[in-house]
Amino acid sequence: MSTLLQDIEAQIAGVKTNVNRQNVGVVREIGDGVAKIEGLNDVMANEMIDFGRGVTGLALNLEETEVGAIILGDYTHIKEGQEVRTTGKLLQVPVGKGLLGRVVDVLGNPLDGKGPIVSTTAYPVEKIAPGIIKRRSVSQPVQTGIMPIDAMIPIGRGQRELIIGDRSTGKTTICIDTIINQARMNKAAEASKEKDFRPLYSIYVAIGQKQSNIARVISVLEENGAMPYTIIVVASASDSATNQYLAPFSGCAIGEWFMDNGMDALIIFDDLSKHAAAYRQVSLILKRPSGREAYPGDVFYLHSRLLERSARLNEKSGDGSLTALPVIETQLGDVSAYIPTNVISITDGQIFLETDLFYQGIRPAISVGISVSRVGSAAQIKAMKQVAGRVKLELAQFRELAAFAQFGSDLDAGTAAKIERGKRIVEIFKQAQYNPIAVEIQVAVIWCSQNGYFDDVPVEKVKDFQNKLTEYLTGRKPELLARIAKEKALNDGLSADLKAAIVEFKQGYSTKA
Amino acid sequence: MKVSKLARREAKMLLTLCMVDGLIDAPRARLVTGRLIETKPRQYVAILTHFCRLLRLETEKHTVLVQTAVPLSDTLRAGLEENLGLRYGKGLEYQFTQNPALLGGMRVQVGSDVYDGSIRARLNALEERFN
Repeated sequence: MSTLLQDIEAQIAGVKTNVNRQNVGVVREIGDGVAKIEGLNDVMANEMIDFGRGVTGLALNLEETEVGAIILGDYTHIKEGQEVRTTGKLLQVPVGKGLLGRVVDVLGNPLDGKGPIVSTTAYPVEKIAPGIIKRRSVSQPVQTGIMPIDAMIPIGRGQRELIIGDRSTGKTTICIDTIINQARMNKAAEASKEKDFRPLYSIYVAIGQKQSNIARVISVLEENGAMPYTIIVVASASDSATNQYLAPFSGCAIGEWFMDNGMDALIIFDDLSKHAAAYRQVSLILKRPSGREAYPGDVFYLHSRLLERSARLNEKSGDGSLTALPVIETQLGDVSAYIPTNVISITDGQIFLETDLFYQGIRPAISVGISVSRVGSAAQIKAMKQVAGRVKLELAQFRELAAFAQFGSDLDAGTAAKIERGKRIVEIFKQAQYNPIAVEIQVAVIWCSQNGYFDDVPVEKVKDFQNKLTEYLTGRKPELLARIAKEKALNDGLSADLKAAIVEFKQGYSTKA
Repeated sequence: MKVSKLARREAKMLLTLCMVDGLIDAPRARLVTGRLIETKPRQYVAILTHFCRLLRLETEKHTVLVQTAVPLSDTLRAGLEENLGLRYGKGLEYQFTQNPALLGGMRVQVGSDVYDGSIRARLNALEERFN
């Protein structure tokens, strides 16, 4: 009873009795989630406006005689002539570790029925990106657990790597695999109480997606035990364009908290094509002038200011990082469309997924030729650099020679060997979804491939050989894998041990086969 | 009615012509309106519509709406006018109205600024806090 009394007294005490100046306006026009308001002379850009009954708006257009505001929530009860007031606050979302394992909406309200979010801190949704003084170069890897990416298109902490491709080419799968791999690594490091390990927390922002797809993503993450390290921000296809426009900024604010507090976070924007379409809708309703493909003139700035917020901070600024994996959906593989070219030019590289490769059974369907990582190689561990340095070139040569080989039957021994090696690399890089591979296993397998241990294995048996080799190494030689993971470089001793282990395995494998 | 950019610009220029020392000069505004109707330039209806809107918004900026639950005494009115004059400058127009729904206290609105010291506002704030 005393607690109840204290609560009520605190609430009454919170109601100030002095009279403050408030800035009010009157709704002149309302429709499509956008209100035109007269008055509000002191309103700030991006300030929250109180529409009463718990409904909030966001001032986006500050014009000479009126203010254009987007409504966050149900706008059906708002009427012409209604009085609204400024709040003096910019749009904020709750941030912190209390959000881990939760599914939230754009304003940080829980959607998973697991009770209220425990958070004492809030971050503004729109924030200026860290400046050059606070930043440092990308130097630590983000292990995606996807072999072709970790080997050929490495991603570093603080990098922005675009995942681009047509519909149903495995873009979301790459993102989910990456989240699952981070969770596995975090768990393993927690179990072994590794001191130097920096956990990577993941934020998945679903923009304009079907609710069934979002539910599937959540269930996959739960099944794989990744949810405790993941936050999901949802603005589904059934949410308003306003919410879809704000979702990536909210997710980014949540990620920035980890970065500002010396931690590492990974944010996935799935996808920015739908985000651009939502922003176009909001802009057109606000009667902003439209440009190419009816997108507003500031659609580039929309994405650049969002992605610039991903950074690697220097030690003075806490040494945190925010890595971004924006996703773009192309139409019929056209990367030269407006939004894809914009985002390609903003990011530090792209992973291009091709429909043809996908249907040939090459999954992940990464097109090695046009996929690049501009800064990630600096973050690759030395062991991976040692073994995978030539893989991309060999694969590119294979694709070129394979195209030529279709026209002629006679090939010289060197060319034939390159083609055979290429075929095996393609097989090695095939990987089942939701099954990320630890970096030490990747190193061992690629080392095998580069040293010719796959050359005498028939192409159709390569995957089987690889799987059994992985089983053998994890089951019988865990100390060897642990050494690779610990030393992060292949010295002569380690190479010799690896060679001995593989020779031993091959003897057993050839007898079985 | 759709008002073109040109019409808005013309209306804004006319409004500037009607201002004297930062305030609307009523005879000038009447003169401008009369001349516009008389000469009928291109888009004159749209210009007039927007001019009228700008005039209303400008007038509202200098209108003080005082609502009280009970009538205010002359002393209180004078004190209020003096204080608001100091804060917002000269040229304010006062409208004193009674609103029993306020229950007590006073609500003063100057342009888009509101000072709500009514009992109703305090009860509403308390209600919001409990929700």
